[in-house]
Amino acid sequence: MSRFTKEMVDDYANKLLFDLTPAENKMVLDEFEIIDRNCDAVNTIPGIADVPPMTHCLDDFVVELREDEAEPSVDIELLLRNSDETSGREVELPKVVD
Amino acid sequence: MKYKAVIGLEMHCELKSNSKVFSPSRNSYSELANSNVNAIDLAFPGTMPSANKKCVKDSIKMAMVLNCRIPEYMLFDRKNYFYPDLPKGYQLTQFTMPVGVHGHVDVPFEGGILPVDIHDIHLEEDAASMDHLENSSVIDYNRGGVPLLELVTEPCLHSAKEAVAFLEFMRSAYQYCDASEADTKKGQIRCDVNVSIMDEDATELGTRVEIKNVNSFGNVHDAIVYEIKRQSDLKDAGRYDEVVQETRRFDEESGRTIHMRSKEDAVDYKYFVEPNIPRYRITPEWKESIRREIPRLSHERRREYLETYGFSETDATVLTRDKGISDYFEKCVDLGMEPKEACNWVTGSIVAWLNKNEAEIKDFYLTPEMLKFIYDNVKKGTISGKQAKEVFTKVLDEKKEPSAFISKENAQISDAGELEKIIDEIIARSPKEVEGYRNGRDRLFDYFVGQVMKATRGKANPIMTKDILHSKLDV
Amino acid sequence: MKYTEKSIVELHGLLKSGELTPADLLAESLEKIHVLQDKCNAFVTIIDDAEPEAVTDSLLSGIPYGVKDLYSTKDILTTGSSNTLRDYVPFFSATAVENLDKAGAVKAAKTVTDEFGMGGTGTTGHTGIVHNPWDLDRMCAGSSAGSACAVSAGVVPFALGTDTGDSIRKPAAYCGIVGFKPTYGMISRYGVFPFASSIDHCGAFARSVADVAIVIDAMKGKDDKDMTTWDSSHIHLYDDLKPQLAGMKLCYVKELCDISHYPNPHRELREHLANFMEKMELLRANGAIVEEVSVDQALLNAQPSVYVILSCAEATSNLANLTGLIFGPRGDGETYIDVMKDHRTHGFSSLIKRRLVIGSYVLQKENQERYFKNAQRVRRLLVDRWKELYQTYDAVILPVGTGPAKHLDGSLDILDEGTSPLEEHMQIGNFGGFPSITIPDGFIDGLPVGMNITGNNYEDQKVLNIAAAIEGLMDYKDQIAREVKR
Repeated sequence: MSRFTKEMVDDYANKLLFDLTPAENKMVLDEFEIIDRNCDAVNTIPGIADVPPMTHCLDDFVVELREDEAEPSVDIELLLRNSDETSGREVELPKVVD
Repeated sequence: MKYKAVIGLEMHCELKSNSKVFSPSRNSYSELANSNVNAIDLAFPGTMPSANKKCVKDSIKMAMVLNCRIPEYMLFDRKNYFYPDLPKGYQLTQFTMPVGVHGHVDVPFEGGILPVDIHDIHLEEDAASMDHLENSSVIDYNRGGVPLLELVTEPCLHSAKEAVAFLEFMRSAYQYCDASEADTKKGQIRCDVNVSIMDEDATELGTRVEIKNVNSFGNVHDAIVYEIKRQSDLKDAGRYDEVVQETRRFDEESGRTIHMRSKEDAVDYKYFVEPNIPRYRITPEWKESIRREIPRLSHERRREYLETYGFSETDATVLTRDKGISDYFEKCVDLGMEPKEACNWVTGSIVAWLNKNEAEIKDFYLTPEMLKFIYDNVKKGTISGKQAKEVFTKVLDEKKEPSAFISKENAQISDAGELEKIIDEIIARSPKEVEGYRNGRDRLFDYFVGQVMKATRGKANPIMTKDILHSKLDV
Repeated sequence: MKYTEKSIVELHGLLKSGELTPADLLAESLEKIHVLQDKCNAFVTIIDDAEPEAVTDSLLSGIPYGVKDLYSTKDILTTGSSNTLRDYVPFFSATAVENLDKAGAVKAAKTVTDEFGMGGTGTTGHTGIVHNPWDLDRMCAGSSAGSACAVSAGVVPFALGTDTGDSIRKPAAYCGIVGFKPTYGMISRYGVFPFASSIDHCGAFARSVADVAIVIDAMKGKDDKDMTTWDSSHIHLYDDLKPQLAGMKLCYVKELCDISHYPNPHRELREHLANFMEKMELLRANGAIVEEVSVDQALLNAQPSVYVILSCAEATSNLANLTGLIFGPRGDGETYIDVMKDHRTHGFSSLIKRRLVIGSYVLQKENQERYFKNAQRVRRLLVDRWKELYQTYDAVILPVGTGPAKHLDGSLDILDEGTSPLEEHMQIGNFGGFPSITIPDGFIDGLPVGMNITGNNYEDQKVLNIAAAIEGLMDYKDQIAREVKR
């Protein structure tokens, strides 16, 4: 019994702010099934729950934190030149009402 | 009040620093939109975070102030959601391993102690700000990336007063630690308040309502009072089921809380550890050096001033409201000034001058050393108390050392011999007044004092003058 | 003129002596780039107004190269091969590109990538499919398809790539050239469009190990803007390149290389593995110790899913800044949600959308433990197993994929059960941040195949030394694509 449904996939896409075609929706469903089967296999690896999840690529980064020095602001023309709709010094969009 | 109110607070405080927490652009208020920004703040493709050492340090410092458990590593998470004021599509925050967990503070409250448990405190970045025009919105990214410390209390507060007391306590702590200006008027503090009610003897908590983005302590107070009443009224009317888990906002004008969104609309933020910021080890050495930087906080100093010096509550409050003032006062005492006099100077002339000139103690020209100099001269009798105040003003007006204004010519006459001679002369030429005074007209004493002052052009040491006059006139 | 087919070292000599001018070299390169574009569609932007650079002591000075269109290039269109950025012109360059600018190299073209680096076929870029110069009906693999194509066809001596799940190292094999991804953090990722930040690597293609060493030397360096970079100033990959095989201990994985593991092997696979084993013999004959090791099959079987889960999850987050508000074509709509949605619906390809949905799913609170966190755990197990191998061996050596370049009309980037560990094993090099290089090691049906050598973190020099030695035993160094006649 599949835990994945067409509605669920559409909901995910919607929350990611795009629409899927029916064909794309079907492909995702098929891919979910495969991943799910493989995850069942993963859960059978002995002791898996006790393994610490690997969150970064290396274990031994030499990290330095940035000194608190401010840099000058970037030229407004450079910042806005790729935006299709601006107003004065700002990016403009349809009125946001909550 | 029929029911027990249960309140939890989330306090967001903007940190003080030269640059933002994950980007080197300036952390400073600006009227001009998009004038403190760079590619990282606007999330241009390929940009990456770089963590600010001062912000990390301040977050550890505040976690210590809250007596939290501090982890071995700094670790950040992404909180993912879409909104125009969040250009990356996620906020960098701490979820997996906050910089402080399981803390506790004892807040002085109404003569006793209000114990407050802290769930966690964590470092994160602020979102940009939007302006809503008539037909559109515009985005100013200046605020985007500004460092924030968010602290979350356990639901352990039970009244609006307690909530505000805690918030005031924290505001002062932030200022004392120089981690934040913590000025609500500048929008540097924002609170989310969680309120629920329950029967006095109940064991289960009631339905929790969240009031978001309350921007002043006064509003926090009012929002809590309103919400408790709203929920209580519904419960009284048998309509408690209408109290639902939801997010509301506080409307300052009407003094009411208003529905924003319900729990069903709750977003899953899909938190995961930020891979571009490696774990940063918080060494024991660094922790120790940060701990040593934590000053005695205002409530500790206030208690000291009340108990050790016996100052009034008002004076203690004025002295500890601002760490700079308190440090100034303490330096004066360290230099040898009598505490009460130092207190009088600080809470009197100095605070008045600062208020009048809209200045801050850190820019105050007249140092404790200079004040001590003036104080010493009064003690020696070189100048009178009145003259001291004049010197004080002149030092500030002309920005010169006090010694420039205390000289032989200006010096007070405190030589008893000299004063006696002058007084003898006056007594000799005022027989009528002498007789009048000795016959009970006490007010004539002022005539003699006046005459001495006239003769010395105001420089006679007034206390000495009075003593000598009394010794000669009172028979 | 065939100067663009020469090695970097040779070109540098010619430029220094004056026999060749930077302008002529650049002109030749651009001309050939245009021809290749018609044939193979490897480029998004051809920088016709590129200025030649003066020759200096820097080996790369005056040398034209291809830049994968995931690297920001200041004032030059950078699209990520995506319609969401089809008109985006950055105002800054990626640090790695700035470093190459300092070395005097000349950007000649932006090369096609699978959209945002999220593919392995070279077929999902917004300007269309990239064809393999050895056989136009076949793929270059991906995502660095355009860069591999350009170097293989000899139009530039080197090109940049990124590698998240073998995106340099497989195209290198399919195109018969060298592709190297050094240790994570050696080259800054600042300014490179991210796919999966904990697995993304920067690297390059060239036609010899020596050339790729020169390029990586110029690209690398600690960068304050990328907190994951480390100081590699003590490493001089080209200067210290010393081919070394004698005394090196190498291993390959039985479960991947033993033909008896495959129930119905294709002829190509059989030849591929047989060729690999032959080459292992060659290495032994030249002083290397080459041993077979065993890795838990369950772990190997889980590996491709781990990659899909981790990479899709991080990608979901990394691509959330693509809303069309500040950059990219503005979407239509009445509300801000409609505007953002329109941009993303029309801007992302089908593959991206599917990957992002999967990524979102595995990160949901109720699913994270089972999918995302478990994938991170298996990653740990795989990396630990490889680190265990490195306690005994200098490198792990394996065949790349299951044979030569696949046909373009085969299945394209759809997850299917047939995805085998042999196709995907190089992703372990990404999981652990290990330095990993592909070099050509033979031909099947006239099409190149390759082998992969992966070493322990920070042992980039050793990996290159081994690769150079192996390269020296074969005849594929500096080879240029020769179209297979059918």
